[in-house]
Amino acid sequence: MNTHGSVPSAARLRDVSRRFGPVTALDGVSFDLVPGEIHGLLGENGAGKTTLARVLGGLLVPDGGRVEIGGRVVALRNARDARALGVAMVHQHFSLVPRFTGFENVALFDRGAWTGRGAAAPGYRDRVEARAGELGLEVELDVPVSELGVGARQRIEILKALMSETGVLLLDEPTAVLAPREVDGLFAVLKEVSGAGTAIVLVAHKLDEVLAAADRVTVLRRGRWVLTEEAASVSAGELAEAMVGGAVGGGVPGVGVGRGKRVGWAAQVADPLGGRGEGADEVADAGPPPVASLRNVGTTRDGRSALRDVTLDVRRGEVLGIAGVDGNGQRELARVLAGVRTPDRGRAILPEEVGWIPQDRSGEGLVNGFTISENVAFALHGRDACRKGPWLDWAGIADAAAELVREMDVRATSSAAPASVLSGGNQQKVVTGREFLRSGNLLVAESPTRGLDVKATVAVRSRIAALARDGDRTPGVVLISADLDEILELSDRIAVMARGRLVPVPRDAHNRRDIGELMLGARGADAP
Amino acid sequence: MADVAALSSFLVSAVGLAVPLALAALGETVSERAGVINIGLEGSVIWGALGGALGALAAGPWAGLAVGAFAGGTTALLFAVFAVRLNTDQIITGTAVTIGSLGFTGAVFQSRFGVTGLALELPTAPAWEVPLLSRIPVLGPAFFDQAATAYLAYALVPALGWFLFRTRWGLALRAVGESPDAAHAAGVPVVRARTLAVVFGGLTAGLAGAHLSLVHTGTFAEGMSAGKGFIAIAVVVLGRWSPKGVVAAALFFGGAEALQFALQAWDADLPYPLFLALPYVLSLAALAGWFGRSRAPEGLGVGWPR
Amino acid sequence: MSTRARALGPAMATAAALLATLAVAAALLALGGHPPGDAFAALFRGAFGSWDRFVSFTLVRATPLLLTGLAVAFAFKARVWNIGAEGQLHAGALAAVAAAVAMPGAPALVLIPAALLAAAAAGALWASVPAAMKTGMGVGEVITTLLMNFVALFMAQFLVQGPLRESRGVFNQTDEIPAAAHLPDLLPGTRLHLGFLIGVLVAVALWLHLTRTPGGFRVRAVGASPRAAEVSGRFRVRPVVWLAFLASGAIAGLAGGVQVAGVTHRMYEGLSPGWGYTAIAVALLARLNPLAVVVTAVVFGALSAGGGAMQRDAGVPEVWVRGIEALVILAVLAVDRSWQALAGRGARG
Repeated sequence: MNTHGSVPSAARLRDVSRRFGPVTALDGVSFDLVPGEIHGLLGENGAGKTTLARVLGGLLVPDGGRVEIGGRVVALRNARDARALGVAMVHQHFSLVPRFTGFENVALFDRGAWTGRGAAAPGYRDRVEARAGELGLEVELDVPVSELGVGARQRIEILKALMSETGVLLLDEPTAVLAPREVDGLFAVLKEVSGAGTAIVLVAHKLDEVLAAADRVTVLRRGRWVLTEEAASVSAGELAEAMVGGAVGGGVPGVGVGRGKRVGWAAQVADPLGGRGEGADEVADAGPPPVASLRNVGTTRDGRSALRDVTLDVRRGEVLGIAGVDGNGQRELARVLAGVRTPDRGRAILPEEVGWIPQDRSGEGLVNGFTISENVAFALHGRDACRKGPWLDWAGIADAAAELVREMDVRATSSAAPASVLSGGNQQKVVTGREFLRSGNLLVAESPTRGLDVKATVAVRSRIAALARDGDRTPGVVLISADLDEILELSDRIAVMARGRLVPVPRDAHNRRDIGELMLGARGADAP
Repeated sequence: MADVAALSSFLVSAVGLAVPLALAALGETVSERAGVINIGLEGSVIWGALGGALGALAAGPWAGLAVGAFAGGTTALLFAVFAVRLNTDQIITGTAVTIGSLGFTGAVFQSRFGVTGLALELPTAPAWEVPLLSRIPVLGPAFFDQAATAYLAYALVPALGWFLFRTRWGLALRAVGESPDAAHAAGVPVVRARTLAVVFGGLTAGLAGAHLSLVHTGTFAEGMSAGKGFIAIAVVVLGRWSPKGVVAAALFFGGAEALQFALQAWDADLPYPLFLALPYVLSLAALAGWFGRSRAPEGLGVGWPR
Repeated sequence: MSTRARALGPAMATAAALLATLAVAAALLALGGHPPGDAFAALFRGAFGSWDRFVSFTLVRATPLLLTGLAVAFAFKARVWNIGAEGQLHAGALAAVAAAVAMPGAPALVLIPAALLAAAAAGALWASVPAAMKTGMGVGEVITTLLMNFVALFMAQFLVQGPLRESRGVFNQTDEIPAAAHLPDLLPGTRLHLGFLIGVLVAVALWLHLTRTPGGFRVRAVGASPRAAEVSGRFRVRPVVWLAFLASGAIAGLAGGVQVAGVTHRMYEGLSPGWGYTAIAVALLARLNPLAVVVTAVVFGALSAGGGAMQRDAGVPEVWVRGIEALVILAVLAVDRSWQALAGRGARG
């Protein structure tokens, strides 16, 4: 059957292209997948790696080129076609129905769950549990998935994908939302699955993780294929260069972050904690008066505690890093610090105006249909300086926006351009610049580089770093991020958020392993 | 004895008035479970009433019911082409479909029957008495001496309950309504599922309209739907998107309407417009009460760009 | 898409929508056995056939559409789906009549402002019920505003049959309001009244508010993205939603007041042929731009003025006009979608 060589391919793309309007997401890419391998697919944001995975998963129909599965050319029209050929996909943004239970979600995907007449098949439940046992997946099947943690949801997702015979398993950024120990658990499961002959595509942008798990690696850049190598024979530096297409200034996220070692600007800054807070096990500590303080703050959301007994101080010129797995109360903490949410319990002393870079850039940080000026006006429209009598001084606001565009190096034709035409990185620069405008005392940055490519990440991080060294105007910065590398790189002090509680991290524990343990450990300790 | 007779006739009238609401609301339940709120339901009802009238004149009441359902379904298909296929705003599209339906049914009616204002006399669908069950005191005649449309509404309750919560297609349909992206990723054809759900809602709303012209009144008048489609949408909310709850809510409104007729008959000097307003006020009050807090499907009213 | 194409887009899309409507309407008319040419010609003559037809019919009929259209446009701008302009208009008309009848001896300078203020207040009050249900209980405003329309219609019916019935007791209508409450004519020799000018002034005020003031910026922000308004704008969404409901209701109520003070001089059943619903088409065709509403209201005023002539001269029932209104809305929606598809607004990879 196979005529191409000794190893039969599980799947193969030949010269595949796909455009979205004016954007070419994939440009004549070829790609081979061997049964039983874990194949890392690397690239910056917008490099086309998700698009490639979606073409293989049947979710996107390519404009040109050929898709082969199991040695035969196929035309995939939708996810069902791909599934029928043994291709399953685990999505970056989970594709589970939040209000359905784990079991319902598994059954929705699986033809085997039903009799020919559409009724539930007898014994299906047992088969699901047996399969989960085989794969070593701990899953909760009878709880609505909206009530599960991210890791638990991902396990449901993987179980769902592997319920029927699967030749190709596609995982899109599966580690982005996991704590380090959960990542190890995931990779163990993947080794198990690939050992049974399934080919796995692991889409990722973190080099060290891919190198740890993958057998082979392919790099895409701007929609084009760059290289495919054995993971053992290529270095992180070579891959980083292949991804970016040139040397990158500053630190490359995820590269060369050894234990406790800092990259980029932070290494050059004198430790502002020196001489105080030695071994402090409080997030609030002695020192100059803080710009913001929380004391025993608690909030309740939908009848449940979102924040519990949170105490912290933030001072000028420091970056307080708050690590944690997504969904442990970080959003609520950001809302409290920004003054949008009033605590139900405890006390919050906050500056009048707070800069807040929200996590959801396009949904909360910006209005896509508004121009850059109008988006900047969010910070300015309430100021007397931006009014003339009852009228808004749009000319003044436009000037401020134009200056922001220059200063932040936003690539846009003018400040009258709508935000929707900007790339993710440039959008984030606008948000960051705007929040700097109101951050005289306190800046809250929530996952400020999520979804940005390497260059934009470096740019945004160095802006935040520079801000914290900006003389008298220096605010205190609270950096909330699920990206441990980012936290370690930028923070002066670190705390971990777990189950709504804030746990300070002693200075001698500022490393991936210890913080990772706290992210999970504190959670375990709190469980009933 | 007279009281029992009065109660019995009140119940007969209440069930009869509840049937069109129940039919339209059961269909809308399916459509909303798939994530589409169809304000154009009112349009399906009025087209159903006119289609019923024209069909009945041409080939008798049974053909009338069929034509009514077909007309309602076609109207809903037009809505689905815009709101589902082209992904236009559901609220605005539905409003346009309703306005246009009220206008064009008037135009068709006037061109067929002139503007004389003479009442049209239609052959009506007869009531069917169910043996034995109709002998149950008080409740028997109310529930089991009704037209075919009523029995269809009864049958739809368990049928839809089974379909939505016990079958693969029901699960897929609910997935589309909760989270179209997840459903799409699972291989459910979102556009087709939503379109079919909307058309089903149109079919039952068309039947509801045909019930108005062929069972309830035996005539057609412009605008005779009188907001029944809108009330049906409120009924779906009050019934918490479950077939059983929806039928209970429809009966409640049928009762309110029957009460209004009974009170008018009892004392002709009572200000009848206030009673006519009663079902609408009750809808508002019920929506404002604890009913309003039940959770709608998460993807309800949210478009899905393919 | 270039900036110029963006600026040009709305005007061209509107023209395309109107052409599409014309084509579909012509096809339907032909299907219904009415020669479309004759029908359109009669309609055009009825609306624009003479200066007097234009001013005394088209512009007079455009007036309530202008005000209700502005009411809808403002609410939609804040993403408040107020489908209840019809009910708010009825509430306003009733309040204006009640206020004017209650002060028989007052001079015009007192009476007219009092009647119009009462109308606006009543419209706002009518809108406050769905506003409270939305902000306080999370009940969607689409259904509640629709239901409030029916309540308003029946309440109007009740009042003109009972408590407010004319003293002669012949018809189901109120007494005529005092002559001092009649709106003065705008152009001598025509029936155009001050109401049209009020509508234009409201349009300009709304436009200035939306584009030039901090409050208007907030309204647009809430309409574009309530979450961004809260997070990026750091202001509370709820007061803005309330403002949108109340202002929208007040303007729709004003439409009712202007109609009774300027044209009918009394309230009766069936005062409005559904202006509150036509208003949705008026607002959408104007892309919710208050200044453009002035133009689109005249377009629909012409349809309304020409509808009678179409029935009389071409034998096409006037109800066709309602159908054509719906076609306009659908055409705008469809043209907008194809416009977006042409502009190639796709997702990125």
